Amino acid sequence: MSKSRMKWMRLGLVLVLGLLLLSDAPKTYAIEAAGPTAQTDPVTQTDTNTTTGDTIYLPMIAAPVGQTTAAEPSTPVQSAANTTNAVGIICTYGASPNPTFTLTARDGYITLPDGNTAYMWGYAEGSNSFQHPGPVLCVNEGDTVTVVLQNTLSEDVSIMFPGHETVLANGVQAQPQFDGGGNLTSLTNVAVANGGSVTYSFVAGAPGTYLYESGANPRKQVSMGLFGALIVRPSMGADFAYNRADSRFMPAEEFMVLLSEIDPYQHQAAENGAPYNLNNYKPRYWLINGRGFPDSIADNFAPWLPTQPYGALARVHEFHPNETLPPSDPNYHPYPGMIRYLNVGTEDYPFHPHGNNGLVIGRDGRALEGATGQDLSFEKFDINIGPGQTWDVIFKWYDAEQYNATTNPVPVTIPNLPNMVYGTFYGGSPYLGTTGAIPTGGEGLNQCGEFYIISHNHALYQITSWGVNMTGPITYLRVDPPLPNNCP
Amino acid sequence: MRNHSSSMQLNRRNFLKMAGSAALLTAGATAMPGMLRRTLLPEAVAQAQSPYDLYYAGTDGWVYLPPTPQIFLPGTQTAIHPDPLAPAPFNTYIFGFRNVSALTTEQKNNQKNKAQHNAPLFWLDQFNPSNPVDFRMQVTNIGLALRPDLFDAHTLHWHGFRNVIPFFDGEPTGSIAVPTGANFTYIYRPRDPGTYMFHCHVEDVEHVHMGMTGLVFVRPLQNGNTSLYASGKYAYNDGDGSTGYDREFAMFLSEVWAESHWSDAHIQLPEWSDYRADFALLNGRVYPDTLAPNAPIDAGASVHALAVQTVNNPGQPDNGDLVPPPGRPELQYQPHSSRITCQPGERVLLRFANLGFKESAITLAGIQMRVIGRDATLMRGRDGTDTSYETDTIAIGAGESYDVLFTTPPFSGGAGSTGLGYDSYLLYNRAYTRANNLAAGGFGGQATEVHVYPNGALAAQQYPNDWGI
Repeated sequence: MSKSRMKWMRLGLVLVLGLLLLSDAPKTYAIEAAGPTAQTDPVTQTDTNTTTGDTIYLPMIAAPVGQTTAAEPSTPVQSAANTTNAVGIICTYGASPNPTFTLTARDGYITLPDGNTAYMWGYAEGSNSFQHPGPVLCVNEGDTVTVVLQNTLSEDVSIMFPGHETVLANGVQAQPQFDGGGNLTSLTNVAVANGGSVTYSFVAGAPGTYLYESGANPRKQVSMGLFGALIVRPSMGADFAYNRADSRFMPAEEFMVLLSEIDPYQHQAAENGAPYNLNNYKPRYWLINGRGFPDSIADNFAPWLPTQPYGALARVHEFHPNETLPPSDPNYHPYPGMIRYLNVGTEDYPFHPHGNNGLVIGRDGRALEGATGQDLSFEKFDINIGPGQTWDVIFKWYDAEQYNATTNPVPVTIPNLPNMVYGTFYGGSPYLGTTGAIPTGGEGLNQCGEFYIISHNHALYQITSWGVNMTGPITYLRVDPPLPNNCP
Repeated sequence: MRNHSSSMQLNRRNFLKMAGSAALLTAGATAMPGMLRRTLLPEAVAQAQSPYDLYYAGTDGWVYLPPTPQIFLPGTQTAIHPDPLAPAPFNTYIFGFRNVSALTTEQKNNQKNKAQHNAPLFWLDQFNPSNPVDFRMQVTNIGLALRPDLFDAHTLHWHGFRNVIPFFDGEPTGSIAVPTGANFTYIYRPRDPGTYMFHCHVEDVEHVHMGMTGLVFVRPLQNGNTSLYASGKYAYNDGDGSTGYDREFAMFLSEVWAESHWSDAHIQLPEWSDYRADFALLNGRVYPDTLAPNAPIDAGASVHALAVQTVNNPGQPDNGDLVPPPGRPELQYQPHSSRITCQPGERVLLRFANLGFKESAITLAGIQMRVIGRDATLMRGRDGTDTSYETDTIAIGAGESYDVLFTTPPFSGGAGSTGLGYDSYLLYNRAYTRANNLAAGGFGGQATEVHVYPNGALAAQQYPNDWGI
């Protein structure tokens, strides 16, 4: 409807203002988003920024981090390692072959597309402040991975590492926990409330994408945000998904799509320390990498999203089959991009990338191959990923028709402006690398004739945010024109 | 939790009265972003129309779903289904497309408020580089009769088309959309056979759910080769005849949440996170209406889409409106039958596409299905490994497509197991909680029957979903 479209456009405009004017972005966003989209829902209206004072800081990811014991928030440590990529997966590394990560369970707030905030729990890295989702832990096949969990929350928490065998807790086999009456209390060993800790370790046996998530009161705690992604790199190299030559991808085009959902009443109850009847559980928000659209396409570490560091925009160049371009060519691009999908929600999410079919080459940390290496991969235009699953997908974007304004024009009359409605990402031209007329005062946000191709959850009622349509788990594939180009 | 208190509701008549006031229109236009405002400018005659292979028009309209049990707005006594605004014999407000390829301009403009659901099924041949022919799909927007306040644009998004440029993708943010009175032509050079779907992508939470959805499939270049399978008809370029078939049926899945359809008719906004599938539809109808015939089809004109015959009453000009299925005037705007007819030994191809918002679990009781394609992709690994499989239930998520084959079992003899001259096998959505529209006896929703006739009883299919009777 027009109303929601207007609202959406306003958010989109504000977003781009943010992109262009980074330093002013938080203020702009807050003013614009709070006014017209303010809801009367009985959810906390706490401004995210009040949790951190006026200081906007980034939850920086440190390179090899040693164990820390601090349980209280401290000033985040800024590290140059892998924090500058505006798009793509942001890995948190340890020191291979024995990486150690410290994850601190703590609380905080995130911003939602309708202007609400949600109270969350999450795994923060070391002594850093709250972030959502937890850090993306990247390790190598064969590493002995140690994860120290420290708990600042008021109830016991834990971490499950589904897909890994022989997980140890404090040096012995991790076990489901039972109370004296034999009742299950946690799927694995816990860090007890208010300052407890537990140390997990396991050997990262098989390359692929994994979830890690709380096993203590998981129906509540996973919903509250106690989850994150774990990537195991194969011994063939970090630019392979698996130990298969056909799983190679462009490292600059590795992306994450982590899908989740939020029931605001559940979170409100947790914030108030009140019980919540999970029979009333009803998600009202759906997120991608912990953000809803349009925040989802903002850069990694966008300053106006201090607790939601991970963007979901995929930015790529055109695929060229091997041998068509020499490695010296700036457009050399002989491998596909890679998207790691994870679902931490409660039902299947059908995620649909437009014009960009994915080849599913692995699921749940296992390559799709037969007993003697037969290729069992399959191509999909709808990644229907189940709860707790991970799907590894490679994709190639190529300019199938090579339309060009002078040598190969589109065989249709391009409507004049009064006969069309154009979108904010439309560059005024059908052609990659070409921009065209947008009226003076128009809202074109296209920078250099790049293409924007949407990806979104196709259970379409889920691309809303408690009344604001066209938000939620939506992101874009940005295809840049061939180099050299005029893109910033 | 938000509720629909009466004070929040704007009486429809008052709203239209207000919308008629010039003052409000002016104020509204000023408050609108430039992009929207521009569509209010007087439109010159649309550009000269280019030749097209198909021409679809987006508009609103009314369809029929079982009127019982009545559905109420949650927590109120407001009956929302059947919709009291609906003209008899209809009861559910929709947005949708119509195939206006064969209509005059005047006939086309008559189709405002006469949308159908699902949108007209269409198909085309795989692009042949040695004989390159563009497929031209022209789309126009003839407005919403019941909601003149909603001057939404429309697009046609071909869901699953590989490597399309944004200009022809129909996603309006990265491209352009078609305002009321305008035309736009999408060019397709489909290189990948299989089953896809299409829908309007403007405000797609709403426009998709309101019914601007349909199924499209691409026939492979291998078609016509009778050495691999006698019919010469294939789902994919399989190279071995494994996807050859004798009859094909498009099985388009969609849903109706009564509250959202009522809300659009009554100028309300539904809360989408409350979504539920009150009705799960198969080719735009619920069981047992799914068994009703196709609307009368002009087979000769059905080159790329099912061309439903238009009204031509003796002594009156043809106004371009659809002829209903025989004896079913209430299904006038739901022309597609789902009844599957076949003869022993024949291979039957079922093309499923789901543009509902929930996952369906389509079960065929008594006949094994072989999944030969998903998302317009032959079930083969990159090294050629056969990954097809047999099953009796396929889980089809929102936005997924499945191609399945079954081989028709023997005929039981005599008048068949039904006494009606055929054997019957039920195909139904096993996800019962969202599949039976609370029908009496529990049978409704997303279901149809496979009817096995004795050999020689059926003619060859003239078009998809043709019964051959």
